[in-house]
Amino acid sequence: MSNTTKKCAVGMAVLTWFVFSAPTSAEGYGILMKTLANPYWGAMGDGVEAGAQGAGVDYYIQAVESDQAAESQLNVCNTMLERQPVAMITAAINSTNLLPCLKSAQEREIKVVDLDENLDPAILDAAGIEITFSIGSDNVLAGAQGAEYMVSQLGADVIGPVLVIEGLSGNITGEKRATGFADKLTELAPGLEIVASLPGDWDRGKAANITNDIMTRNPDLVGIFAANDGMALGAVESVFAAGRGGDVIIIGVDGNSDAVKSIKAGRLTASVAQLPYLVGKQALENVKTAIEGGYVETNVIIPTLVLTKDLIDAGTEPLLEFVK
Amino acid sequence: MATPQTQRATGLWAGLQEKFTEQLHVRLESIVVLVGLAVIMSILSPFFLSVSNFMNILLATSTIGILAIAATFVLSSGGLDLSIGSVLGLSGVVGASVAVNLGMPTPIAVFATIGAGALAGLVNGWVITRGFVPAFIVTLGMLGIARGLALVISDGRVIYGLPDWMLFLGQGRPFGIPMPVIILIVVAIIMHIVLAYTRFGRHTLAIGDNENAALTAGINVDLHRLTLYTLSGGLAGLAGLLFATRINSGDPTAGISYELTAITAAIIGGTNLFGGRGSILGTIVGALIMGVLQNGLNLLAVQSYYQQMAIGAVLILAVFIDQFQQRQETKV
Repeated sequence: MSNTTKKCAVGMAVLTWFVFSAPTSAEGYGILMKTLANPYWGAMGDGVEAGAQGAGVDYYIQAVESDQAAESQLNVCNTMLERQPVAMITAAINSTNLLPCLKSAQEREIKVVDLDENLDPAILDAAGIEITFSIGSDNVLAGAQGAEYMVSQLGADVIGPVLVIEGLSGNITGEKRATGFADKLTELAPGLEIVASLPGDWDRGKAANITNDIMTRNPDLVGIFAANDGMALGAVESVFAAGRGGDVIIIGVDGNSDAVKSIKAGRLTASVAQLPYLVGKQALENVKTAIEGGYVETNVIIPTLVLTKDLIDAGTEPLLEFVK
Repeated sequence: MATPQTQRATGLWAGLQEKFTEQLHVRLESIVVLVGLAVIMSILSPFFLSVSNFMNILLATSTIGILAIAATFVLSSGGLDLSIGSVLGLSGVVGASVAVNLGMPTPIAVFATIGAGALAGLVNGWVITRGFVPAFIVTLGMLGIARGLALVISDGRVIYGLPDWMLFLGQGRPFGIPMPVIILIVVAIIMHIVLAYTRFGRHTLAIGDNENAALTAGINVDLHRLTLYTLSGGLAGLAGLLFATRINSGDPTAGISYELTAITAAIIGGTNLFGGRGSILGTIVGALIMGVLQNGLNLLAVQSYYQQMAIGAVLILAVFIDQFQQRQETKV
């Protein structure tokens, strides 16, 4: 055997080292998340595992490198179908990237679940894809709750500029939150003007830059609404760095662990907490019900909760148990 | 040409190596690694060995494969194109814009997509050859410009709803084979023939091997370079078309970091980073090695972070094996 072949063999043995084995049953549930980097998705992953263990089913969770890697997620989705799951539970990066995979799943009679309301029903209809159910928060309501809280803090008669930082462009979740916020704000406090509504792509750094720029243009900014906590925390850094911490009401969405820390420390004003742990857990429980032939609503809504320093300090709210 | 007396252990292996290198222009080691990896994966996962899974691997490799072909040509000539990822994104956005916002028919949209890429490549080539700015800098600058332009044209938003004929290019399955795979195979065969068997290909490798000698031999190096960068951009445009039609949207964030993955595939396949050596068939094998690795690890539910580590390790290993072999060959 030549030296080169020996080297090849050694190399391949080394590669095998990297491999972890996982249950390879053909009856499992496939769960495809966006990225595990955001604690929100980490909490949802925990909920999924709790739900799966409670239901006694095999499952495998996959994620991709970032919440912008649209093609990667499609490739991973296709690969997951090869394992012949009975159900595919997906959190799509945008409204169209997983459509070919979901179509294929439907053809193989695999149940499809929309985790966290990332799919647009109109687009699904046009593509002829029927999902078993969709579970998540009511994102329009979450945005509206943010607006209500901001108005409750500033007063309905205040006049001032407000910044909205949207999510990843093309993602329906972000769009709903931004629209929900904007509509409610106009309804409750016409004096609060949204001077800019820009996509922060779920990215802390981008949101920080957007905030800096808008504060330069509108030094009297009174409020910021960001479609997720990551971006809200980016905005917080910019506001405090500019010495205006405490003068600007900053509201995020998700209620993840980083946000909770920031609220307790008096930096982030509030976050409309989703309960990702509960979403994940109930998603699994409902899939099991659906597969066993039981009835599941097509749209399962998990409540959202406005987290503020007072609420967290009081610690009496029962839903706080699910805020991880 | 007599085979030099070197310290090779078996004549059979050496003979096969030579045959593969001279007849097919691909390194035997790369193919051995690919097959070996496939064998390992099929042992580890019962789902690996199936026609539909192989189709998935080819489909997942199609976009990167086209980019890697572009990278092979440029690297072989001693150049570097860091902009192909961003040009992929820009082209996709241009094509989607033309089809959706301007409502033009599909052939025009397809032409616009590839044309946008080729134009970006032409600009690269022009500045490199006329402006005397190093390729690294020019294409690095284009990486930023193309990405920014994509965001400007799309207003930072994804452009949905491509027309059916266009979608067919990314999602159609004539005879059960996905269109992107067919496109990849056709482009790969044509480009392999160009690089390995035509004068254009020989000149490309000659320029990469020794630019002064190529000049002295009468090759119009500047014009050739210009053509290569335009080709690279055009292929990036094609990759952008495949990407956009696979996910049915012009996405301004498409292709971020893809240029590095494409270069990795080319190098694993045997292309020399500094020029003078390269083969399209080798690059496709390199891209497939990465594809098989990712697919296999996905089937085993290994997280993508470990996959990235594994690919980095494979890259270093591939170049190590290559360098080791070069040393062996120079020992007499």
